[in-house]
Amino acid sequence: SVQDGLAADFRALTKTLYDLNKALGTNIVRGGPLKELVIEDFDEEQIWQQLELQNNAVLDFFKESIARDAEDEDLCLLSDQEEGGSDAETSSDEELEDNIMETETEQKNVSTKDKTKAREKQSKLGESTKQKYSDEDSDIDFDIEALEQQTRTAKETTLKKMGRKSVVDDKFFKLAEMEAFLEHAEKENREEEEEEEDINYFEDIISDDEEEESEEAEVKPIKSSRDLTYKDFFDPVDDDDLVANDVEDDQEEEADSALEEENPESMSEVEDMNEMMMENMRSKEASKKVTFSLPDDSETEDVTDMQLEKGIDPIEIKSSFEKRQEKMSKKIKILEEELLEEKPWQLKGEVSAQKRPENSLLEETVFFDHAVRMAPVITEETTLQLEDIIKQRILDEAWDDVVPKEKPKEEAFEYKKRITLDHEKSKLSLAEIYEQEYMKLHQQKTEEEENPEHKEIQEMMDSLFLKLDALCNFHFTPKPPVPEVKIVSNLPAISMEEVAPVAVSDAALLAPEEIKEKNKAGDIKTDAEKTPTDKKRERRKKKLRKRMKLREKEKRQKLLEKMKPEQGTKLSKKAAAAQLKKLTKEGKASLLKDEGKDKVLKSSQAFFSHLQDQVRMEIKDANKLKKKEKKQKTLSVHKLKL
Amino acid sequence: SMASPPATEEAEGAFTSVPSRRSRRKRRAAAAMETGEPRPGKRPAFPPVAAEALGVGKGELRKVPVPANRYTPLKENWMKIYTPIVEHLQLQIRFNLKTRNVEIKTCQETKDLSALTKAADFVKAFILGFQVEDALALIRLDDLFLESFEVTDVKPLKGDHLSRAIGRIAGKGGKTKFTIENVTRTRIVLADAKIHILGSFQNIKMARTAICNLILGNPPSKVYGNIRAVASRAAERF
Repeated sequence: SVQDGLAADFRALTKTLYDLNKALGTNIVRGGPLKELVIEDFDEEQIWQQLELQNNAVLDFFKESIARDAEDEDLCLLSDQEEGGSDAETSSDEELEDNIMETETEQKNVSTKDKTKAREKQSKLGESTKQKYSDEDSDIDFDIEALEQQTRTAKETTLKKMGRKSVVDDKFFKLAEMEAFLEHAEKENREEEEEEEDINYFEDIISDDEEEESEEAEVKPIKSSRDLTYKDFFDPVDDDDLVANDVEDDQEEEADSALEEENPESMSEVEDMNEMMMENMRSKEASKKVTFSLPDDSETEDVTDMQLEKGIDPIEIKSSFEKRQEKMSKKIKILEEELLEEKPWQLKGEVSAQKRPENSLLEETVFFDHAVRMAPVITEETTLQLEDIIKQRILDEAWDDVVPKEKPKEEAFEYKKRITLDHEKSKLSLAEIYEQEYMKLHQQKTEEEENPEHKEIQEMMDSLFLKLDALCNFHFTPKPPVPEVKIVSNLPAISMEEVAPVAVSDAALLAPEEIKEKNKAGDIKTDAEKTPTDKKRERRKKKLRKRMKLREKEKRQKLLEKMKPEQGTKLSKKAAAAQLKKLTKEGKASLLKDEGKDKVLKSSQAFFSHLQDQVRMEIKDANKLKKKEKKQKTLSVHKLKL
Repeated sequence: SMASPPATEEAEGAFTSVPSRRSRRKRRAAAAMETGEPRPGKRPAFPPVAAEALGVGKGELRKVPVPANRYTPLKENWMKIYTPIVEHLQLQIRFNLKTRNVEIKTCQETKDLSALTKAADFVKAFILGFQVEDALALIRLDDLFLESFEVTDVKPLKGDHLSRAIGRIAGKGGKTKFTIENVTRTRIVLADAKIHILGSFQNIKMARTAICNLILGNPPSKVYGNIRAVASRAAERF
């Protein structure tokens, strides 16, 4: 209510002021394009924008002028001695700068650059402000020369400020310089990041007229490539003073040239910005009347870029269809480029660690199946729930105590050993025990056979329940397998494990020792191996055997004589002697006396040899007789002669 | 004597089958039987004798003496003893108070010859110290026997050694004795230095071996192992 009135008053006032200014406007100061400030049906934002236009233009002019004046050496803005004046000046300047800063957070204009250079050259401001300016114009123009200019100035200032020397310093390297450069670069980076995404709404937009004028004003000869010298590329190597002087001398030239070069770019940029602003405003106005489903804001920018590239007159208005077409074609182009390009690693199928950047997987959200149930998230609610359950369980006394599981011992040996020793008095009497045994023996036949169908059904049910248990119970332990019936026969292992068939095997044969008893001594020795003890032992054994035999014989004889006297006396010695006597007495037999002379009868050899001799003798004799007879028979001729 | 029959048979026909000796004997026996003459063979053959001929009906008597310490148990279990003897075996039983003998007599109703022996054994077993139900098995089963021997028969022990041997046989609370009984399916009565075993022949042998081992000094655990092994082997055989 009250505010509204005040606001209206303010607005009217500003309008009059603006109009007045415009009316009185000199040629020197070129303000904004609007001749008068329009306030009817405009809200604050729009009025402010109009003002801004005016202000920016004016401010530019002022900056330029100050820069020019600052170059003038007669005027000194700052000096150490004239602190008061300088301070005032600097303060005023600072204020101005601050104001500018407030209005223009991000500057992309060249003139500011000039100004900063000038300032750096002459003033001894705090680093912060200097830094601000040096960093402000970093983004758009990435000329190497400009960068060099910057670095040079930076170096220069560092030289001026920190003329200290370190141990590492060289003809080419100065530690202080490096540090300064690094700091400078860091700040640039920081500011770059801020600047990147947003459009600089508070940037200075020089109108076309102004730009042309600025161009004309600052036309100066550019250095051709032929004239470039070592100085253009590298810092001077020798004394600091020389460097400083050189730099100072060059800077003027460089500043202008740089400015010159950058201007057209900046101009184009400015044009863009200008157009953008116009377009934005127009589009906004248009959007009030007709709403498009397509988002226009971003695309208008693209449109303007495209226009620039094609070289079309940027102010021409395009029909909506054309705009859409352009967007589509742009989109298509982008997509085509994407398809032609190499795919990012995410779309490349199996990617090992070497094929993707380091730690890139950390930034990706990866989906995969979990084999294990994830641990539950513990919140207060869950804790309370859990406690409730615990309390209820305690009241119910339903402890989930662990039941000790026993491993069933399965051994054939165990089956054998099933006779458990019962140390207590038997409850059944002996009669009952035998009765039970009897019944068991005779009841094997009358076992009732289960219905096979029942068996099948039972088996199926068992398997089903087993599966269900396995599925539902997280701590499922399967039942131990039903013990298979193992037939354990108490046969000797040899008969069970005999490979050869029973008929062929010699498992049942007698062992050699069973056939012939082994010698107690062990080995059987030949006569050569026998020791005298062995021989004597054998002789003794032989004699013993003989003795025993003889005794046996005598016994038998005696027995026989007792039982059957006739048979007994047949073979006895006495009987034989008696018979001999009888015979000799009768004369049928004669006893040969053993006189030693008769060797012939001692041995068979002697006998036969003797016999042989006898026969030979006889033959001889016979022959002799024959000869004699022959001799007698032969008559002499002389005797018979008459 | 053996030579003659073949000669006669051969005389009959040129080709005759020469039968084996066994069959010859049988035929001869049969022939003798038929003819009714006394066989010239070795083995006598008697027809089964009628029950009356045995003289059961005359009333044979058996007497079982009762020592004083068994007097009261006899009195307590009299009905249990009396019932099976009288009803199942058809015998007459009485306890002669003067002579302190249990007298069992056959009567006309007695059908089975061996009933008397069985009854006498039954009573004797009870008197020795066995339970009535255990002794009853003697009546029901034919092949149960009763064996008695003394501890000193196994090994000459005296005094403390003897007591210790008896203690070993019994075990703590009769544990060892019961174990042997259960494993070998016998009943053992341990009366000071006398041991009575009731059971089938094989089982008596097993139990006797076990008890002898205990007397000789083996620890019970070893004896358990042995009887268990023996019993399992015996069980497997069936």
